[in-house]
Amino acid sequence: MEKQIRETAKELLAGKKVDVIIGYEQGTLPLQATPCFIDNVDDADKLVWNAFCSQNLAKYVHDVIHRHKESQVRVKPEERTKKIVGVVARGCTTRSLVIHLQERQYSRDEIVIIGVPCTGYVSKKKAAIRVDGAEILGSAVSGNDIVLTTAGGDTTAPLQELLSDSCLTCRFNNPIIADVTVGEPAPPMNVDAEYHDVVKFENLPDEERWAYFTKEMAKCMRCFACRNTCPSCYCKVCFAEQSQPNWVGVGVDDTDVQMFQLMRIFHMAGRCVDCGACVEVCPMGVDLRKFLKKLDKDGFELFQSRAGADMEKPPILSSFAMEDRQEFIYEPEEHA
Amino acid sequence: MEKRLIAKDALAGIIKKLSEKMVVYAPVKDEDNICFRVLEKGQEPLVNYANTKNAPKNFFFPQTETMMRYMRTERGMELKSAEAEDVPEALLFGARPCDVRSFVLLDNVFDQDEYQDPYYIDKRKKTTIVSLACVTPPYSTCFCTSVGGHPMSSEGADVLLTDLGGNYLAEFLTPKGEALLSQIGDLAAADEGAAAAKEELVKKSESEIKSKVAGSEIKPWLDENFEHPFWDTIHKSCLACGTCTYLCPTCHCFDISDQVKGADGKRIRAWDSCMYWLFTIETSGHNPRTSQKQRWRQRLLHKFRYFVDNFGAIACVGCGRGVLYWPVNIDIRKDVNDISKL
Repeated sequence: MEKQIRETAKELLAGKKVDVIIGYEQGTLPLQATPCFIDNVDDADKLVWNAFCSQNLAKYVHDVIHRHKESQVRVKPEERTKKIVGVVARGCTTRSLVIHLQERQYSRDEIVIIGVPCTGYVSKKKAAIRVDGAEILGSAVSGNDIVLTTAGGDTTAPLQELLSDSCLTCRFNNPIIADVTVGEPAPPMNVDAEYHDVVKFENLPDEERWAYFTKEMAKCMRCFACRNTCPSCYCKVCFAEQSQPNWVGVGVDDTDVQMFQLMRIFHMAGRCVDCGACVEVCPMGVDLRKFLKKLDKDGFELFQSRAGADMEKPPILSSFAMEDRQEFIYEPEEHA
Repeated sequence: MEKRLIAKDALAGIIKKLSEKMVVYAPVKDEDNICFRVLEKGQEPLVNYANTKNAPKNFFFPQTETMMRYMRTERGMELKSAEAEDVPEALLFGARPCDVRSFVLLDNVFDQDEYQDPYYIDKRKKTTIVSLACVTPPYSTCFCTSVGGHPMSSEGADVLLTDLGGNYLAEFLTPKGEALLSQIGDLAAADEGAAAAKEELVKKSESEIKSKVAGSEIKPWLDENFEHPFWDTIHKSCLACGTCTYLCPTCHCFDISDQVKGADGKRIRAWDSCMYWLFTIETSGHNPRTSQKQRWRQRLLHKFRYFVDNFGAIACVGCGRGVLYWPVNIDIRKDVNDISKL
């Protein structure tokens, strides 16, 4: 599949169908593939596809196109150019691209999607737990197993056990939209278990849920890696950085951290594709997914909509139907 | 200098006991992270760990700190307090030599002839630092020897502990260290053999730091190449998050703002990050660094050029945190080495 991705990239670049291809290249550490930006045929062989490609590259598609548009502001309209971005996209990445397209962030002809079937990526956090926090000096996937090398020797684990939670129950591991598709469609993941964790969490008493939330938020150091890696978080100025009004204080007071995360999470209603990128980049290991997945479940149960899953279906927050559910709307006077 | 021996299994207990009478900052296991935290009274610290996820800089330079409080009254603004908030005598236990060296570097900024930062200095003065030498390197990404450090350096420490197998050799290096010794009480004196055993480890530990970075070689290139195509290549995958700067022991940029509620206000300073788009933005809206390329260049130049110009040292201690925890695996070792080949 890696070879096919490289060949496709070369064709697209040689045929001037794209200006740049965003994909993954080998990182400098084990378990790491890192985003790369290929703009000439010779570099296309850097592209890799493996179980360590964890980032959702739609984030970079948005950034590259918008930076280009900003650079065109002072160019005469008739002389403006488009920047065509190719992207290596698995299912969740294409869902994010769909969201961008539905939210009119760029047009379909500005992107070329190299669709890649996906069998999931390795969670670095799970791998670290597997070796009791020892430094992982090497990692290799062989068949259905992964071998983690530490100073204390090799640990072999079934790959399945180290996959990100988002991947384990992924419903859309094949591209939703694509211009070129490589490989054979990937087999389905364990979709029946998709909301098991959320249901368990929903059934806890209020105090326990709040305790879990505050415990997780106490780990957060406000580095914004979660927000910045999220393709759906593309606001030019985030509410967290606005000063008039100042919605959230800077720094790490509990209330400010909780407020920031709560507001970000709610901005993800109908917009989170559960790619798991925010969880994967978090240096402190905050369990953001628990809360995001709840919104995803609500979106489906209340509005029969899954974010970015259908190009033709309008996003839930941008559409209205008379029969829309509304009993959850809070009327303060009724609760007084 | 007093040299004593501490039995290996007694160390955690000694620190636990100290935590009952003074504030102790020490590494603890916090779910899946090992972090520096304030020990609860009677809590045992970790003594066997590679390194913490967070750097200990926040004990002297907190992520959020109140600088003064004020109140709006009929007569105008009145100061409620303008001094650093009261901080206790404290013990920082278990910082690795690289992290301890970061304080020596930060002193250049916060405690110098032209500027004295009372908030930092107060905490720094009141804190005794017990450092744990790296007899074996904590991580393969450690590169302290490339940036002026040493895995068993005592630079900046009040007490240096060296793992000799069955015992720790405890060297009480400063008056603050000796005062701590009197708090701990009786400890067996170390003989010549222990000192000799330590000396042997010094060379061995140095040779075990395998990761090499051309930290001191790139300064002449950096001096000449503010504009160079290289700068277009390294920032592209950068998320512009604050992970690298927040986990870094030497990053020290901050931002000052006021928080006002009703008539009460406080002026706080909070960690800033050159990775953020708000960094150096001016009130007018103008920003001298509008792109991530410029901000990325700023971080590298600050560490390997400006700090060297200003204070004669590289502002990197080679702890490897940035390398290990960088969300998208931008590797500063690679970038520095790539520059050295240009």
